[in-house]
Amino acid sequence: MAAPETPQSSTLRQAFGNVLSVFILLLIGILAFSIRLFSVIKYESVIHEFDPYFNYRVTQFLTKNGIYDFWNWFDDRTWYPLGRVIGGTVYPGLTLTAGTLWRILNSLNIPLSVETVCVFTAPIFSAFASWAAYLLTKEVKGVGAGLTAAALLAMVPSYISRSVAGSYDNEAVAIFALIFTFYLYIKALNTGSLFYATLNAISYFYMVCSWGGYTFIINLIPMHVLLCIVTGRYSSRLYIAYAPLVVLGTLLASLVPVVGFNAVMTSEHFASFLVFIIIHVVALVYYIKGILSPQMFKVAVTLVVSIGLIVCGAVLAVLIAMVASSPTKGWSGRSLSLLDPTYASKYIPIIASVSEHQPPTWPSYFMDINVLAFLVPAGIVACFLPLSDASSFAVLYIVTSVYFSGVMVRLMLVLAPAACIMSGIALSEAFGVFTRSIKFQLPGVSQNSPVNAGDTGNVMQNDVVKTEKSEDSLKERPSRKNKKKEKDNVERASVVPQTEKRLSVLPLEASVIAIFLLVLLGAFYVVHCVWAAAEAYSAPSIVLTSRSHDGLHVFDDFREAYGWLRHNTEVDDKVASWWDYGYQTTAMANRTVIVDNNTWNNTHIATVGTAMSSPEKAAWEIFNSLDVKYVLVVFGGLVGYPSDDINKFLWMVRIGGGVFPHIKEPDYLRDGQYRIDSQATPTMLNSLMYKLSYYRFVETDGKGFDRVRNTEIGKKYFKLTHFEEVFTTHHWMVRIYKLKPPKNRIRGKTKKAKSKASSKRSGTLKKNPWH
Amino acid sequence: MGRSTTSKDAQALFHSLHSAYASTPTNLKIIDLYVMFAVVTAVIQVVYMAIVGSFPFNSFLSGVLSCVGTAVLAVCLRIQVNKENKEFKDLPPERAFADFVLCNLVLHLVIMNFLG
Amino acid sequence: MAGRKFPTVLLLILNLLSFLPFLTISFSPDHPTDRRILVLLDDLALKSSHSIFFTSLQSRGFDLDFKLADDPSIAVKRYGQYLYDGLILFSPSTDRFGGSLDLEGVLDFVDSGHDLILAAETSASDLIRSVAAECGVDFDEDPSAMVIDHTGYAVSQIEGDHTLIAADDFVQSDVILGSTKIEAPVLFKGTGHSLNPDNSLVLKILSASSSAYSANPASKLSNPPLLTGSAISLVSVVQARNNARIIISGSLDLFSNRLFRSGVQKAGSSYKYEKSGNEQFVTELSKWVFHERGHLKAVNLKHNMVGGTDEPSMYRINDDLEFSVEIYEWTGSSWVPYVANDVQVQFYMMSPYVLKTLSTNEKGLYHTSFKVPDVYGVFQFKVEYQRLGYTGLSLSKQIPVRPFRHNEYERFITTAFPYYGASFSMMAGFFIFSIVYLYNK
Repeated sequence: MAAPETPQSSTLRQAFGNVLSVFILLLIGILAFSIRLFSVIKYESVIHEFDPYFNYRVTQFLTKNGIYDFWNWFDDRTWYPLGRVIGGTVYPGLTLTAGTLWRILNSLNIPLSVETVCVFTAPIFSAFASWAAYLLTKEVKGVGAGLTAAALLAMVPSYISRSVAGSYDNEAVAIFALIFTFYLYIKALNTGSLFYATLNAISYFYMVCSWGGYTFIINLIPMHVLLCIVTGRYSSRLYIAYAPLVVLGTLLASLVPVVGFNAVMTSEHFASFLVFIIIHVVALVYYIKGILSPQMFKVAVTLVVSIGLIVCGAVLAVLIAMVASSPTKGWSGRSLSLLDPTYASKYIPIIASVSEHQPPTWPSYFMDINVLAFLVPAGIVACFLPLSDASSFAVLYIVTSVYFSGVMVRLMLVLAPAACIMSGIALSEAFGVFTRSIKFQLPGVSQNSPVNAGDTGNVMQNDVVKTEKSEDSLKERPSRKNKKKEKDNVERASVVPQTEKRLSVLPLEASVIAIFLLVLLGAFYVVHCVWAAAEAYSAPSIVLTSRSHDGLHVFDDFREAYGWLRHNTEVDDKVASWWDYGYQTTAMANRTVIVDNNTWNNTHIATVGTAMSSPEKAAWEIFNSLDVKYVLVVFGGLVGYPSDDINKFLWMVRIGGGVFPHIKEPDYLRDGQYRIDSQATPTMLNSLMYKLSYYRFVETDGKGFDRVRNTEIGKKYFKLTHFEEVFTTHHWMVRIYKLKPPKNRIRGKTKKAKSKASSKRSGTLKKNPWH
Repeated sequence: MGRSTTSKDAQALFHSLHSAYASTPTNLKIIDLYVMFAVVTAVIQVVYMAIVGSFPFNSFLSGVLSCVGTAVLAVCLRIQVNKENKEFKDLPPERAFADFVLCNLVLHLVIMNFLG
Repeated sequence: MAGRKFPTVLLLILNLLSFLPFLTISFSPDHPTDRRILVLLDDLALKSSHSIFFTSLQSRGFDLDFKLADDPSIAVKRYGQYLYDGLILFSPSTDRFGGSLDLEGVLDFVDSGHDLILAAETSASDLIRSVAAECGVDFDEDPSAMVIDHTGYAVSQIEGDHTLIAADDFVQSDVILGSTKIEAPVLFKGTGHSLNPDNSLVLKILSASSSAYSANPASKLSNPPLLTGSAISLVSVVQARNNARIIISGSLDLFSNRLFRSGVQKAGSSYKYEKSGNEQFVTELSKWVFHERGHLKAVNLKHNMVGGTDEPSMYRINDDLEFSVEIYEWTGSSWVPYVANDVQVQFYMMSPYVLKTLSTNEKGLYHTSFKVPDVYGVFQFKVEYQRLGYTGLSLSKQIPVRPFRHNEYERFITTAFPYYGASFSMMAGFFIFSIVYLYNK
């Protein structure tokens, strides 16, 4: 951002601006960190949700046993009896990051527990992410837009939802890696420096380590390259930014055990290779064009094109043959469900069963990105005004991420940074236009001085704003950024003729009102974000609260149940539950589980689903064959906790039925409706899940009224023959049952049978299920 | 008739290509040689793989990618140090070469890791 | 230091305290034979009329405690500890036991691993029938029915109703009935019972002949009898899953001095045995039921790598391992090596991946060696040994099998040498190029 202007004042102002922007960035970082601490303040410093517990457990292992043991870790406490090769199936980025952080802190004699480090990893990295967003946007549209985008990203609810303190998940670091990789790519593209290209590859490596979403990068960047080539924007900088990335990136990605040869074998990566070939051809063409006279070049083109077409055709044929030879065309299920939104629901119930893999609803867009949704189109327009390589990349990024987020709620997370960048650009451009309008219409100012006047005015404005409450940080930001923007404009102004500047002048009143409205918009956004961070996204889901007329209720049933398991069962006992609770059980109760949230083996999950949807005896047999000792079910009917196992039950039926066809979904539905009241089907009422959930439930209120489904249950009084209840938590949210051992004796005819049917006695004994 | 024109054109083309290339500086020619060496090695390996099969796939991958990587990096260097390339006027060749060395170090480190 | 010592001492005392009850129980895994037996009688006269049986038990060291079945002082359990190791119910007509014992009490007694001899008779009470039914034995529902055999009866002086039958259809098991063959038929007079053929825990020891049937001898047969032929079991044994053993006999007279002493001549056979087989039969059966015979134990389940001695906590796929287990049999006074050639071990994960017959050194040690399959997961060594008359052995030991570590794969493969060459030549090329390039400038 070196723009030679009037020598003295400009350098001074530049230095001042630099210091100010660093200071602002620092504030943004603190903001990003602290807005995510609501969960710690309101609840406590715990790990949230499901996956983070696994990550936490892995991190503990890493810090205890070192990296090589971690790499080769074969975990026998999960997916019993198959076990799981953790080292080869996990994205190690997050774990390694937290592990390194912990090690550094410990070597500095700051003795924090691993858990604390894990809890605060996500907020720290969200601060990094907003700085990365600043860098990226700065490359695209200048400092002002960068600062705005960073501020927006620091508190975008969508990102907060994944990175509050305690949400120790891959996405927490991956978003930072994603933005930073994009930044380095743009930087390499803008400078044409091999140094940045190398950094880019390394950053890409970190992203591959961190999250499966790296395929987004390796597809988006080739798309951008292709776009540039097609639109005739090829430059050798593009080559330098792209070609080393592909080679180094592929090599580095292959080093991550979980990716391995997938980096060259699966279709997700083929796009990059194809573009790699194309860019070489194009580079050659440009080179030849450079050294030849135009006339000769025409001749060469005819020759090269004819030969090149043949070569390209051959390569394409080979590629297509390779792709077609693999059964799913080389695409993984999740990628396929991205390309074809109906794919998962048709073929892979296990992917469709995860709520975060569902398409989002419109309100969730408003909830997660709020006003940014309206600013994005403006940002796109702003990007087109002078369309550069970088801004075209930003446009491509937003367009693709909008599509992906429309397919899966989870990918809203990818959209959020793009939306922030776009909105940052839009806001700063808007402010730029308005302040310029004001500046030019201030009376009695000469042609040259408006710049300074406007500037000082802005600075003054800054000071005013500064005195406002700090929570209105956004208000500060746009206005401060004005100054930056100003400079930016000046920068551009050297190129753009002054007259043109005049043309875009708006009426003074309109500008003032517009600025006021924009500030209001920003304030609204801030209020919404703070609300979202404080209320909506801070619940750890392991501890629940509810507010009623007589105060706050805390439901700590999960930890109660896991604590019970940890203290009252044998170390080698196996606990069966639906896979959602697998990670928590292994991490908190330290017991072996049958399935967990890493849903790599569909059959195994289907087995558990089948057991849950079978009648008691069949279920007992399935569980017994898996050496299960305890069965854990989550039941929300007493307190109205909606995401309990009864509500997930249809997925168990579907997944189970997908592998074991004797489980049929219609058997559990009455006229296509899922119900548990007296109208429910006998299959439903006899299923293990129903029985384990509602066993003794009628004793609570005498009626058996389920507060989630809002009905009275269908079958109220029944006994369990093959399971016995061993523990039910305070609010009945988790119920643990033990498998009864096979009976010691096999009974003969019972007396009842004798007295009832003494006349027609069959030679055999009464059929006893217990055999 | 068409055939003879194309062959004549091709001849002319090669001639002008040759003359144009002859005027490139020596250091660029060295780079070109280096690139050729890498590409040829890569092609040899692909042919070898086609004969013996892709069993130690990681070795094959690292072998080929090391060649491709070297070639690509050398091409990048060539682009940067090329005096005719106006985009990189403000980039001193020393800096370009330092970047190149760094990049290569990373590349070969990864290759060593991946080879076994 | 002193502060540390104190809890250790406390722990030691606690440990001792917790061991104390075990010391007082004579029935222990190390010494499975019963010691104290409660005998419940309908009538104290039985004590003398069945004295041979009781004396033989006492002479083998059992401590018999005779009580009337309705004695209010009966208690088998005090402070959660059982006072007896075995129970003999010679009280077919009792409707309810005295004291704290009831149907549940008897069943709990069995379920906690204690043994039971139950003798019923014609018109046995519902209580006795329910105990039998709970163990899987169904007496004829007609309370007055007896087993009648018009061809297999025992010849006696007076022509009777053929309810005293001479049964010689024994189960073929040396473990249960001893190694000496019972030559003389067993005299039986009482009610018959049937078993569920699907029930794997009960076993017919003495069956009626094919001409027998169960009916009331006093009344005329109006419709065909429900229990006929060899489906009728006269004496059955049950070995529960916890290895508690039960004898159920349809006849109390089977144990009586009168039938022990009397000679036997089977109808249709001219040979008359001086003495019935009852004494031998009952004695051998009581030896089995009170765990003087047929009790196995398996100890020292061990596995290690071939060439190693320590038990690893985890194997790698394709490891070679050795497995061994020691099996001993109880003779009533000591453990002796158990010799058999059909003990098998499974290496099991959802299904057996390896099934090997163990070879024995005749001194109780069974061992084998095999290669871990090329599958990782949590495996189990499983020994399931169920043989007729013997207590079941069911052992399992969990062991995880892991895949190769990253540095355990083959390295420096010959076919890959060109690739290595290429990579290194690239590195060399890089150096040369750097030098040449820099020098050229």
